[in-house]
Amino acid sequence: MKIDRDEARRIADLAHLEFDDAGLDRMAEEMTTILGYIETLAAVDTEKAGEDAGTTPLRDDVLAPSVDREKVARNAPAWENGFFVVPAVIEGE
Amino acid sequence: MSDVLELPFTEARAQVTPAEYVEASMRAIESRNTALNAFLRVSEKPIGDFPIAIKDNIVTTDMPTTCASRILGDFLSPFDATVIGRLRARGAAIVGKTNLDEFAMGSSTEHSAFGPTRNPWDTSRVSGGSSGGSAAAVAARMVPAALGSDTGGSVRQPAALCGIVGVKPTYGRVSRSGLVAFASSLDQIGTLTKTVRESAELLGIIAGHDPLDSTSSSGAVDDYTADLDKGVRDLRVGVIPEGLDKLNAEVRKNFDEAIDVFRRGGAKIADAHVPSIESSIAIYYVVANAEASANLARFDGIRYGMRSGVGGGLDDVYFGSRAQGFGPEVKRRIMLGTFALSSGYYDAYYGRAQRVRERLRGEFDAAFRKFDVLLTPTSPEAAFRIGEKVDDPLTMYLSDIFTAPASLVGIPAMSVPAGFNAAGLPLSLQIAAPHFGERVMFRAGAFFERETTYWKRLPPL
Repeated sequence: MKIDRDEARRIADLAHLEFDDAGLDRMAEEMTTILGYIETLAAVDTEKAGEDAGTTPLRDDVLAPSVDREKVARNAPAWENGFFVVPAVIEGE
Repeated sequence: MSDVLELPFTEARAQVTPAEYVEASMRAIESRNTALNAFLRVSEKPIGDFPIAIKDNIVTTDMPTTCASRILGDFLSPFDATVIGRLRARGAAIVGKTNLDEFAMGSSTEHSAFGPTRNPWDTSRVSGGSSGGSAAAVAARMVPAALGSDTGGSVRQPAALCGIVGVKPTYGRVSRSGLVAFASSLDQIGTLTKTVRESAELLGIIAGHDPLDSTSSSGAVDDYTADLDKGVRDLRVGVIPEGLDKLNAEVRKNFDEAIDVFRRGGAKIADAHVPSIESSIAIYYVVANAEASANLARFDGIRYGMRSGVGGGLDDVYFGSRAQGFGPEVKRRIMLGTFALSSGYYDAYYGRAQRVRERLRGEFDAAFRKFDVLLTPTSPEAAFRIGEKVDDPLTMYLSDIFTAPASLVGIPAMSVPAGFNAAGLPLSLQIAAPHFGERVMFRAGAFFERETTYWKRLPPL
């Protein structure tokens, strides 16, 4: 699979990453090399694959103490009145 | 008095007071860390009976956790990881947090945002990774033991390159709560120590079910020290031939000599074919990166860590924080993982990799019907030079060829010092066992260590 600059940009948008054009070109080239190696998997016969590893048990859905709010606030880049502060999501006037 | 940090844990505790033990570690860190960059942070006032170092992707309430990334800023966890709580309850003094490849993504610790950790045997060479700081700290006798995390070899490979013991337990044996997630179906906390017994003792402390990690096993924890003196007479030891063609002559000879040690001990040796091992790096770099791209979506500049792009809209914060906060290897892996999960490619990449992974698991299950333990080298080569592979991601990835398989199928595996090459760099043997077969793994490792005693040789400090 050959990744070009446009495809690298599409993936970067999905991943919330940004690169300049030179960065996109370098990323596209590295991804092409690594995906080329990964594509050797297509040649493996998986008809006789083993069983899958099973499922993870879920805990009971009951209330339990969570982390301390004050300590959460201390790590927040912006915090006000018990809330994380973020840029406006809805365009105002 | 000989340096207490050169003694096995139990002997050291018999010789000195707890305060002296912790103090000896703090002094060793102070004198040796500048040359090695093994520690990102040292505790100001460690309290406890014995010193231990912790990889800086395991959260602690008394020291920040950085994951060797700029994106976490000075993040201070509101809670201790479950393993930290267990260690503190048994008297451990956390003396410091150790360096790693950013978010544990790497095999050399060169991808740390805070500079590489150097190998104590030759400071122009890498310590391995991603738990390179923990490995160098133990190898240089700055601490008697350290915790690391292993996703595709990140405990075993640095232990190998630094000449110490590294253990990745069975997936689910140790709680992952408080281990910053990289690839959730692979991550497992493991131990780095001078000797096999110390790892067995340490695993006994940290293993066990945890309600905060639903993938942790509720099975009883074995006494991992029970069979250490038992030897290997009649033990069925399988040698995996796949991948051995990738070894240089020196490593190959060393591996053959290691097999001979088991033969002389009365083990029954035979070839154990696991053909899909040849596919394990390809599987690993799809599965691990796919899971990483999802796990690292949480680092977005909103709830903790650094925020960039302020003054713009929400997207500016997301994109700006991640662009400035993540290093190049982390971005590369997020890109690959996002691609493998994206619409139109999911089946061909992620789905395909999971099916080959199931095939690999089936092959290991078949091998363990005939064998008690399986042997390979831990790493195809000794420690490489800093800078040698950092610009060639695929070559770097291939250094995980012998360690990734155990992570993909969830079995326990350990690396044990197996001698030195002509340049005096450590070489290593890997011993793998069936799911929850840690006891027989430690038995085989302890036998090999007794017969060889390579652990007694110290790096130039």
